[in-house]
Parts: sequence; structure tokens; C-alpha cells
Amino acid sequence: MLVRWVVALAAFLIIAVLGITVVGDFTGDQAGNSWALVAAIALIVAFVAYAAVEYMQTGGFASIGSQFDMRTLVLMPIAIAVNIILGAAVANALKIPIYLDSIGTILVGALAGPIPGALTGFVANILWQYIIPPPFQGTVAAPFAIVAAVIGLMAGLFARAGWLRPRPGSSGQSLLIGGAVAVAIVVLLGLYAYTRFYTETFEFLNPETDNLLFIILGWLIVAIFVGFVLGFFALLFVRRDLTVAYVTVAGVATGVVAALISAPISANLFSGVTGSGTDFLVAAFRQAGSDINTATFQQGLLSDPVDKLVTFFVVYLILAAMARRTKARFPQGERLIEGGEAAADDGGEWRGAPA
Amino acid sequence: MAGSARLIGDPTAGRGIPGVLGRPGPSPFHRLNPLTKATLATVTAVAAVVLGGLIGPAILVAVAVVLPAVAAGVLGRLVRTALLLSLPIAISAFLVNLFFLPGAETVLLRIGPITATAEGLAFALEILARILAISGAITLFYLTTRPADLVVDLERRGISPRIAFVANASVQTVPAMVERAGQITAAQRARGLDTEGSIWRRIRGVVPIVGPVILGSITEVEERTMALEARAFTRPGRRTLLWWPADSAAQALLRWAMLLGLVALIVARIVGVGS
Amino acid sequence: MSLQLSGVGYRYAGAQRPSLLDVDLELPDATVVGLAGASEAGKTTLCLVASGLAPRTVGGRIRGMIRLDGEDVDAWPMHRLAERIGIGFQNPGTQLSQVADTVFEEVAFGPMNVGLARDEIIERTWDALDALRISDLAERDPRRLSGGQQQLVATAGLLAMRPSHLVLDEPTAQLDPAGTRLVADAIARLAAGGASILVAEQKTDLLAAVASRVVVLADGRVALDGPADEVLADPALGELGVAPPSAVRLRSALEAAGLDPAVLGASRDG
Repeated sequence: MLVRWVVALAAFLIIAVLGITVVGDFTGDQAGNSWALVAAIALIVAFVAYAAVEYMQTGGFASIGSQFDMRTLVLMPIAIAVNIILGAAVANALKIPIYLDSIGTILVGALAGPIPGALTGFVANILWQYIIPPPFQGTVAAPFAIVAAVIGLMAGLFARAGWLRPRPGSSGQSLLIGGAVAVAIVVLLGLYAYTRFYTETFEFLNPETDNLLFIILGWLIVAIFVGFVLGFFALLFVRRDLTVAYVTVAGVATGVVAALISAPISANLFSGVTGSGTDFLVAAFRQAGSDINTATFQQGLLSDPVDKLVTFFVVYLILAAMARRTKARFPQGERLIEGGEAAADDGGEWRGAPA
Repeated sequence: MAGSARLIGDPTAGRGIPGVLGRPGPSPFHRLNPLTKATLATVTAVAAVVLGGLIGPAILVAVAVVLPAVAAGVLGRLVRTALLLSLPIAISAFLVNLFFLPGAETVLLRIGPITATAEGLAFALEILARILAISGAITLFYLTTRPADLVVDLERRGISPRIAFVANASVQTVPAMVERAGQITAAQRARGLDTEGSIWRRIRGVVPIVGPVILGSITEVEERTMALEARAFTRPGRRTLLWWPADSAAQALLRWAMLLGLVALIVARIVGVGS
Repeated sequence: MSLQLSGVGYRYAGAQRPSLLDVDLELPDATVVGLAGASEAGKTTLCLVASGLAPRTVGGRIRGMIRLDGEDVDAWPMHRLAERIGIGFQNPGTQLSQVADTVFEEVAFGPMNVGLARDEIIERTWDALDALRISDLAERDPRRLSGGQQQLVATAGLLAMRPSHLVLDEPTAQLDPAGTRLVADAIARLAAGGASILVAEQKTDLLAAVASRVVVLADGRVALDGPADEVLADPALGELGVAPPSAVRLRSALEAAGLDPAVLGASRDG
């Protein structure tokens, strides 16, 4: 089992390194595109490597196929529908710079596994553009299918690692430590994003600047951050559940990755305009002096982490509202239940289902 | 209603032709294989992006969207639907590029602190043309093809019945979920839920609707799973199909021609031929 | 061709107590067996176990023996059992496959999965539709039908598999009176045609009309098992949480009022 993952990781790294050396230049306009392309190819090769090793070892694809039992197949259309309906409603009716089109993807990733999660996101975007009729039909969804796939994959992996398992009644000490770690990680990610993408464009907190746009953008960023920290700690201590910290980090991390992959797609195919509330944010950054590629990164790194954070929390709440028995029957359900395994059986004459 | 499918087999027993969702009568274009129409839509959309500029997408729209639409008799609906579809994007794209294109100099209009530029206008029109090409191509596909037809065609060519199930069920679930949301909204309104008013109140009003809809659907997963297993859906291997859309060698050739044409276009673009 | 449960017990995953214990039940050919009991007595669980969904799909642990025509089916996978035993549920809407736009395709779903030849599928589908008298609904959209009609479509879908036994878990529970009558008539016709059916119902009137034997469950065990008219007239029914059929209640009321129940005449079905 470990062999497969090691091979997959090795394949990913090899392709990534190859890609980086072939591309050479990772600064400038096309940096984002190259990054996304290399990452996508590396992921696909890694997946193929994983499947190939499994096939050689076992003659089948059980670890992938087992994630796709009947329950998963029945859940996927529901998840896809939720993605499309909420995504369309937010894009068309509410002009706010978030998407809310990944709730289903992350839910499937959590309950069924990384591969079904990835597939749900991918299929949802394709169907959204090609098959769903107006008024829900999306015009820009299909090219972002790969982003949705990565989101589902990450959600599945986080869930598999037990990050979404409820931890009620966590001790005050663990809450403080966990909370501090989570905030620290988010701050680090924020700093990385800031130094990489934002400083060259403007100094938004510079008191000498009198451009209204700069000031507004600057305070927007500060407000988001402060609001996040306050809200985070409030939530953490109200629910007394350390999982809040895990969910926060998962959301922000997924958001950052999603932003990095989707920005070049948005910039190259649609010049940053996708018909949702994010367009004006992109425009604001362009007006502040960024070129189209950087502007989409700047917008993405604000919208996506917030969006994915909210989405992860919604999924966390949905999972909390589901009965224990219901969750347990899904392939990854055991990792979403507090306390883990259900009561052991007394063996002997009591048999389970046939293999 | 024929749509793009035709039932193959014993006419006396084969009366199970599916009803169509109110689309206009069959035309030769309707009757093309769904994969052909899908290829046309995708190639047109991608080509519009690759070509760039104003003239390229315009020609594409004329040839690959308007012409077949006229032949299929769906031009009116196409125009209305495609425009409706692209309206939010069109407005955004237009305004954003008209006023905020960096590096633009030729000023056309000045409204307070923001200025409209000629370069902005040109770029905005280009984006508009591209968007119209994409939404036109996809709407044409949607108007002349039933989703189930495409899925059946793909299943016939070899994709797993499980993937086909997910695709078909998703298409059915979207309107079903919207309907259920409507019912829950009515029920919640009867209980005093406020769905009008300020944006904040409306957002808060969404939660008591979205919550029950999602949770209700998840609760149904167990029953639906049992019902499907009770009808042998888990049986490994292929299942028998009752019917599938017709195809022809000529259409297969056409599909390959379109794909090769697109590849040639992309290569030409990368190499730098033309503008 | 009989379905036989011997000493069957079942416990849901994560449950402390078993939901079924020591159940002996036989469902022979051309017989309708009614299953009665208070809610949570184990009727649904027994249906799931009899059809094989428990433990295959639902999880949990089972003990005892289930035999189909003398053969132990413990190792059979679900899709193989699905061809021999069909199970219907209460909710008409969630039994739809969600991939069919017409009733015809909906009913043909099972045979298609099994991989039969196309002509065979078409013939079986029309036979099933005819048996339930819904051939005129063949081109309708199954999502747009009434609850009772949907329940008939679901049952037709089961019949198209040509099972040797049908298990119906409270088929009329979520239907209005019109739908209930529709489904009850259909079950009666199937019974008259020689079908082997296990039907769980709270509505003992329905059982009185179609069942030849009735089994009453209480707390996961068999409390009563015998010919329908005997069991349904048993005074213990009330304690077991089962409302007797209206005919029986009418008779009791007459007796309590000091009148001669023979006034009702020979017919006991009321």
C-alpha cells in the first residue's frame, strides 16, 4: 500500500522537476500558466503511476474502485446538483466575490474519498456548462473542471487524515494550541501570498497614498483578516471543538491551491471576466496597476480562501447534522465519526455481508 | 417526439420513445449523432478562444452557430437563450474592459474619476465576440440534443454504466432539487420566514431552505441505494441498451476533420502564423 | 419455489441489541403472507433480510439460514438475489432510478442491468406493465405520476425481473386513499394470479383482503403465525400494537353491545 503512494509521489516530483527545468522561467506573465500546466500534468501522471502499481500488485483497482460503491454513486448526482444550483444562484443573483460551487465536491470527498471527490467536481463543471439548461447553465464552468477536481481530491485527503472528525469537549489547552497553530498557518500562507503577489503592485497601507481604490482594497484585506481571526476564535470556543481549527486550515489551504490553479485559466481564457462578482475585484486590481495575470492571482487569493473556508464549514455543519449511522455506511464514513469504529461484534454465528 | 434518437427494433413492441422537453420538430441537424454535435460545439468554443480578435469569432458564429441554427429551425430560441446566458458576463466584461483597461490612452468619455477608452472598447468587443461564440455554440448543442441521448451514445461506445448513471441522475436531480427548494420555501414562508428585503436578510433566509434541501436529499441516499441494488444495478459488466442514436461513417469523418482542424489552428497560433 | 428463513437473527451495525431474533418464516409458491406488527417491531428489517439487502447493502450482522428452493443463499451477491427476490419500499419517489424519462424505460431498468437480450427485455417490460394494468402510462414521465401510480411503476419494475418472490414493505404507507386502493387492487390481482408475496402492512384490512397467512412480529420475534382469519381475529393483537381489521373490530363491537355478530352474514371481509 505504501509502495503505491511512494511511487505516485515520486512520479509527481519527477514530472514537476522536469516541468520546471523545461519551462525554465517562472517569473513574469506566463508564470501562472506554466505552474498550472506542470502541476496538472504531474498530478495526472502520479495518478496513472498509482493505478499502474496497484494493478501490478493486485491485478485490479480495488482501492480506487472501493471508493465508488453504490452509495457514492447515488450521492454524486445530489452533490453535483447542489454545486450547480448554489453556484449558479451566487454567480447570477448575488454579486459577491465568492463562488459557493464546491459544497457538493467537498462533501463527496469527505464521505467517499479523494477520487470520487475529484470526479464529482470535474463532472459537475462539465455538466454545468454542457448539459444543464438555462437559467442554471454556466458559460465558464468547463475549463475550471480541473480546479474542481483538485478541490475534491484535497478534501478527500484531508478527510482521510481524520481532519473532519468531530472532537467535542476538547480541553481548553488543546483549543488554544490548535487555534494558535491554525492562525499561524493561515498567517504564513497570507504572508507568502502578500510578498509574492501584492507588494509589487501597491503599498495599500501607505498613508501618503490618496488613491481611493488603493485605500479601499487595503482596508478590505485588513477587514477580511481581522474578521477571520475574531470569528475563528469565537467559533472555536463556542463549539469547543478542535476540529474547527482543522477545518479552517483545510479550507484556507484548499483555497490557496485553487486560486493558484484557476488564476491562469481565468486570465488566459476569459481575461479575468467570468460574470460573477469577482470580476469587479479583478478590475479593481488591474486599475491599481497589475497586469491581467497578476490581477487574477490577487483576486483569487482573496476570494478562493474565503470561499473554500466557508464551504468547508458548511460541509462540516452538514456532516454534524447527519446521523452517525448514515455517515458510517459511506466508504470514508468511519473517519468522520467521533470515536471511530462502531461496537465490535461478538463473532461466532453472527456473519457480515458476503465478500 | 424524435429528438435525435430513433428506436431500433420491433415497431409493435417498441413504442417506448421518450418524450422530448418541448423542443421544435426534428430537422436533419437535430438528427445528427449527439457526439457530432458535441464535437462541433466544443471545437467552435475552443477555436473562438484560440483565434482571438473580432473577425475570427464572428466568422465562427456565422458558420458554426447561426447557419446550423437556421437549418434546425431554432434560431429564434438560440438568440434569446444565448443572449440571456451571456448577459451577466457580457455586462461585466464590457464595463470592466471599457473603463479599466490598463495602458489604454485614447479617451472617449470621462465620468467622474473613471474614463472610457477606445482600446478598452475594442478589447471589450473582442471579449464579447468570444463569449457570444462560446455561449452560442453550447446553446445550439443544448437546443438540439437531449442530454440522455448523449449519455446513451457514450455508453454505447463504452463508458461505464455507472458514469452514465451519475450523468443522467445529475441532470434529473437539478430540476427536482429546485422544485423541492420551492416547496420548502413556501412552507417556510407560511411559517413566517422573511425572503424579501435587504440582502442580509435574504442571505439569512437562504439557510432554512438550503439546509433542509441538502439534508433531505442526503437522507434519501440510503433508500435510493437499496432500490438500485434491488434492481441488480451492481452487476458487473455491461448492461443491454434499448436504443441508441444513429451514427454514420460520414459523421465520424466529420468529427475527426473538425478535431484535426482545431489542432492545426492551435499549432498555427503557437507557431505564430497570422495575427 | 419457496423462500425459507430458519432461526434468522439480525443486528444493525453499531447496534447493541439485535433487531430480529429466532425468526422462522416460510414463503411458499403462490401464497401471500402478511406481516404485521407495531412500528419498530422489525417488519422492515425482516423485509430487508428476506430480500438480501441486509446485510449486503445495509451492513450489520446476520445469523441463521436463508434458503431459496432449498439452496443456501448466504454467499450470493446482491445482484444475483435481485433476480429472484424483488423488494419494494414505502416511498414511491425514491424507488425511481432517476435515469429514465419514460415509464417504459423505468420498468425496463432491471432487465437492462441483468444484460438480457433486447427483445426479451421489451417483452418482459410490456408483460409487467400489463400485469399491473398500467400499459397506458408507458410513455409518461415517471416523476409526474401520482404516488399510487409511481408505486405501481416501481412494482412493475420488480416484476420485469420475473422474480420468484416479491417482498413489499408497507407499499401503501405513504399513499392517499385513492393510491392505496390502486395498489391494494394490484396486489390482490397479483395474488389471484399465483404470485408469492410477503407484504408488510400496518393496514390490516389490506392483509385481510389478500393474505392467506399472517405473521405478527413483536420486538423482533415472531409472536403469532397462522392462517390469516385466525391471526387477525386473535384478541392478543391489541397488546402487540396491531389494529385489527375493521371487520374484526365491527364484530367485537357488536359482541360487546350484546348483538349477534352472525348479523353480518357469512362474509368476514366486511
